[in-house]
Parts: sequence; structure tokens; C-alpha cells
Amino acid sequence: MSGDFAVLCANEPELATLRASVRTFLSTDRDEFGWQPTVDAWLSSWDEGFSARLADAGFVGLTIPREYGGRGLSHLHRYVVTEELLAAGAPVAAHWIADRQVAPGLLAYGSEEQRQRLLPRIAAGQYFSSIGMSEPQAGSDLAASAAKATRTDGGWLLSGTKVWTSGAHLAHQVVVLARTSPVDPQRRHAGFSQFIVPTDSPGTTISPIVMMSGEHHFNEVTFDEVLVSDDNLLGEIGAGWHQVTAELSFERSGPERILSTAPLLTALVRLLAYQDDVDDHTAAAVGDLLARVISLRQLSISVARALSAGQSPANEAALVKDLGTRFEQDSVDLAADLFSYVAEAPGRDGVAALLDIARLHSPLFTLRGGTNEVLRGVVARGMGLR
Amino acid sequence: MTRALTGGVFGTTDSTDDFAELRQLADDIGARSFEDRIGHRGLPDDFDATAWRNLQDAGLTRLTSDPESGGGPGELAVILRALARHAVTVPLAETDALAGWLAARAGLEVPADGPLTIAVGDAGASEATGIPYAGAAGTVVIALRDGPALQVALTQPTSITNGHNLGGEPRDTIPVSVTEFVTVDGAAEELLRRGAWVRCVQALGALDAAVEFSVAHTREREQFGRPLSAFQAVQHTLASMAGEVERARAATELAVAAVTDYGFASAQADYAVTVAKVVLGRVVPTVVTAAHQLHGAIGVTIEHRLWLATMRARSWVDEFGDTATHARKLGRMALAGARDGDPWDFVVGGY
Repeated sequence: MSGDFAVLCANEPELATLRASVRTFLSTDRDEFGWQPTVDAWLSSWDEGFSARLADAGFVGLTIPREYGGRGLSHLHRYVVTEELLAAGAPVAAHWIADRQVAPGLLAYGSEEQRQRLLPRIAAGQYFSSIGMSEPQAGSDLAASAAKATRTDGGWLLSGTKVWTSGAHLAHQVVVLARTSPVDPQRRHAGFSQFIVPTDSPGTTISPIVMMSGEHHFNEVTFDEVLVSDDNLLGEIGAGWHQVTAELSFERSGPERILSTAPLLTALVRLLAYQDDVDDHTAAAVGDLLARVISLRQLSISVARALSAGQSPANEAALVKDLGTRFEQDSVDLAADLFSYVAEAPGRDGVAALLDIARLHSPLFTLRGGTNEVLRGVVARGMGLR
Repeated sequence: MTRALTGGVFGTTDSTDDFAELRQLADDIGARSFEDRIGHRGLPDDFDATAWRNLQDAGLTRLTSDPESGGGPGELAVILRALARHAVTVPLAETDALAGWLAARAGLEVPADGPLTIAVGDAGASEATGIPYAGAAGTVVIALRDGPALQVALTQPTSITNGHNLGGEPRDTIPVSVTEFVTVDGAAEELLRRGAWVRCVQALGALDAAVEFSVAHTREREQFGRPLSAFQAVQHTLASMAGEVERARAATELAVAAVTDYGFASAQADYAVTVAKVVLGRVVPTVVTAAHQLHGAIGVTIEHRLWLATMRARSWVDEFGDTATHARKLGRMALAGARDGDPWDFVVGGY
């Protein structure tokens, strides 16, 4: 039996072996295919070839049961693979949402037919999904969503507009949250359902929302009386709100809420390591930065362990996202200060480029997947304050 | 696995927790001490002989320094955190993890009962300052740094100048008149690490108290016709505080695990204790500031209980190497490792 130290570091023998094998895959694949590590790769670095190779090597669909083409491993196995991918800045965006959110949703609420239809393709790294939640008038207040689905012969007619739908222009499907009964002001969270909508469904229009960096990851997706068949209803009618919030702890506490800037930070530390005579102030700044990452990772792993043990640490998960994403933002400025200390050296220009990307993406860190203000509200409720 | 530092505002009780009974015992001793002392706290806040006797009767004062005790660093951490949370004024950390350990290393016999303390200084010093509880301890273990070695001796000081830290804990000055020392090779670093470790665990206990007090105060205190806790700005401050404390708990838990698995002398302990000391050093000021802001002016008075948590935490993070010193050390460890390794390895515990 391995000691608590290794367990807390997610490095007990089985996980350490997995960690080593994903590292070997990444370095070999990078040498062969030449992708460049980047910050925030889980949003922005879409590479379908990489996703398929990663899946071939057995690193996609880790928590999907074997009968559906996955590895049937634990959430902690997935945690280790995920953090290694993020630290390496690997181009994971294509399969990310399908693997992280859609597969657990299908396993929890999907029909047997849906699982057999979709999970093997997700596990193969060849089926990509986006999520349609926010709307022009429903941001932090998701319950204000107005997209609606009405009953028709053999299915549903979906109408409405979703925004910030990452990757919808490249994905096979959008999982849409829509009203299936009118708003009840006393129970605003009731009456939602989830639908799986193929992106080529007639009546679906996908338009880019271009970021200030010039990049196109987000979309506005409009549904105009789109026919959704009954077999694409996900879960139960009216249970949509519960379904989208029940699994949030996994998403909120995961490594992507800490490590979006990790490739920038590791590249910078590597540059500094070869500087002559790093002064005390700079050494202390490096120490402070790393102490923050290490402690946040410890907190994140403790939530992952609790989740794996069947507990529901919802407050701690919200905390990880609040603290972790604030760190991600701070880390950009801390990195900029450290960068100013680096003399001409090979690799310096690459770090400068990562720094610019990080600056452009940084405002999103504390917005996506629920703003930090909303998360602190969740924590406050958990503390019995509201 | 069992977590020694379980607790805080989100603390979940787990039936499989091996430490639950011990934590309850320490909390009971702590709560009784806290009650007894209401209205009697001062500067310095005198040694609590009753609490010490209770700890001794329960067999909790030599958990790591007496091989017969059956305890270890995990058990000690449970108790230190609980006592700090209740601001119990006793030198348990000093007696067990510092003085008791070093006396044994030096082959010097100390009384099996009663509190001990440690006086740290540089070789050749004629006086030692900042000694915890010198007035209460029957025996002082003197530890003078001589490069990586320590020169160790026992003394029963006759002349003590009393002082205290920011949180009222006794911090005294004694003359060093001993001439016969035992040299303990390579012990200087471990003493510092042990000191940093106990202070991290204690500071965490004080932070837990600071958050508990802040939640209680903002729920009771009404302004503008409603409790302070009903204001969103106040809720967000409390949520941020609690988050920082959980981050500190996670870092300290790793330091407890490193010491439990590999011992204080190990590279793992060096890594994890350094990380924890930096984390506590940054978390304590933010939580202390927020706790006082939420309490208003009443929180800075000596009658109020808040300072016993906030000012002890502030003092503890500066003892056994201040935050900047540990941050520099951690940064240099990481930079050295990144020359022939991956900086990411340093983050995942590959020090």
C-alpha cells in the first residue's frame, strides 16, 4: 500500500504508471506531428488528428465503461491524464467537451440506445460536441433561458438562440437546454429538458462570435423550428436543470480551472533556470507562484478523491473554480513580471507569444462555466449565509 | 486515507476517520480551556496549567518524542490544530516536536512530565530571545546553530525576562550560561523544518477559528436593519476567506503526509513543508485582514476573542523562517530542478 503523500500527489504506483505513459505518448506525438504547446488549449487548440491519435493510445474516454468502448477507469485516472495534457499544452479542444461533459451526461441520463450510438465514437476521439446553455438574455442567470421545444409528431420542435457555443462550427452535435413547459415564476428551474441536436439539422444556423484575439471558437447557434426526434431527448422531460447542474462539481474542480496558463509558466521557469545568478526577489517570485499552483492542485485533487468516493463536495468544487481561475488570471501578470527578467535566450520569443495569447484569453478564465461571482454565492450558501 | 486536518466550515464528519475520537478529545480540552479563560486573557497570556494537565492525563504530550506513546505526526497535527483553534496557551509543539526530539537526538535526559521548551540561537550567543514559554517549562533545551550542526544543552534558567508574541503567547529571554554542549550533526535544518511544520498546523487551526468567528459575528450583528451576512459583499468576502483556508488546509495536509510517510529529515518533507510555509504565509495576512474588516472595530479589542486567532496566526507564520525566506528557498529548489528536469514535475510532487 502506498503512502498518503503519493496518494495526495496522485502519484501512487498505478497513477504514476499512467502518468508516465501519457507523457511518453505526448513527447513522441509532438516530435512526429510538430504541434506547439499553447495556453488555454482546451478551448482553442482544435486538432482532430491529435484527438484520434490520443484515443488510439487509450487516453480518451477513460471513465467510459469498456462495454461502450472506453477504458472503464476511475475519475482519478482521468484526472491524471487531463492534467498532463493541459501541462503539455496539447491540442485537446476537439474532443474535450464530449469527453468531459457529454459522456458523463449520457452515462447518467442517456438511453441505452444513445449510449451505444454515441459513447464508442466519443471514446474513439472522433465525435465532437458543443453545449448550448447561455443565451443573449441568459448569462449568469441561466434559468432565464428562453429557447423552447414544443411537442410534435415523433419528436420536438426546437426554437431559440444559444451563444458562446464553443466549437459548434466544427462539432457533430450541440446538447441544448430548452424549456419544455412555460415559466413558473415560483419554480424558475423547473420545466427544462436537454436535447441532442446534430449540427446539420435543417433550421440550424451557426454564426461565428469572433474573439478580440481574432480567433473563432465561439458561436451563436439559432434553431428555427428544428425537428428533434424523440430518441434525441437526453434524460427526462422537465429534469434538464437538475441534469446540467448535478455533475458540475467534476467540471468546476478539474485541472483546467488551474492549469490554463501552465504551459506559459513551465516554459518561463525553464528559461529562468538557465539564467545566471537569479536574484533573491526573482527566486521568491518563482517560489510564490509555484506554492500557489501546488496548493491549488492539492485542493483540486482532494475534491476529485471525494467525488470518486461518492461524496458531494459541491462547496469545495465551487471554491476550486473561484480560487483556481483567479490564480490563472493573476499568473499572467506574475509571468509578465518574471518574463521581464529573462535576458535574450533561445525560446524567449515563444514565451512572449504565449504571454500575449494568455493576456487575450485571461478575461474568460473567471467567466466561463459560471462566473466567479455566482460561485462565491454558491459557497456562501454552503456556509449557511443565504 | 485519513486526513489529520479535517475541519473548518466545510468539514465533513466521516465515520471512517481514524482521528475522529482524538480530534473530539482535543477539541473538548481546548473548548474547556477557552471557556475558563474568558475575561482572563492578557499580555502575556499566561501558560494554561490546567489544560496542560488535561493533555498530560490523556497521554497526549509526548506523542512523537516518546516511542512508547503509539502516536505519530498525524496524531500530533490533529491535536495542535485543535488547541490552536481554541487558543490554548500551552507549549505542546515545543515540548514534543522540538525540545523532546532534540534532547533525545543529543542523548540528554529530560523530565518525562511537564512542559519543555527550546531556545534557538547562534553558536557563542550569551543570551537567547523569543523562547516560547520559558517561564512555564521546567527544562529549556538550548540549540545553538553551528553550520549544519546544533550545539545542544539543557538548562533550568533562573533569570527570565518575560515577553510575548503578537497573540500574547509567552516569548521570553534567558541568559545562556552553559559551557558544556553536545554537538548533533546535521540537525539544524531538521529543527527549522519541524518548527515550520508545527507552526503551519497551528496557524491553520487559528485560521479555522477566524473564519468561524467571522461567520458567527456577521450572522449576529445587524446593521441597516438586517444581519451583515445578508449583504452580498459580506458573503463574498466570507466565501473568499473560506476558500483560502481550504487551500491552506490542502497544502498543510500534504506536509503532514510527507512527514508521516518519510519523516522530518526527508526530501519529501523539505518540499512539502516549504510549500506549506509559503502558502500559510500568504493566506494568513489575507484571512486576518478580512476577519478584522468583517468584525469592525470591536475585533481589535483585547476583550474580544478575535485577536487570539488572528494575531497568533500572524506570529506563527513568521517563526522558523519567514514567508519570503521560504519562498526564495522554494523558488531556488524549483529552478535547480528545472535545469535537468521538467518544472511540471515539481508541481506534481516530484521535488
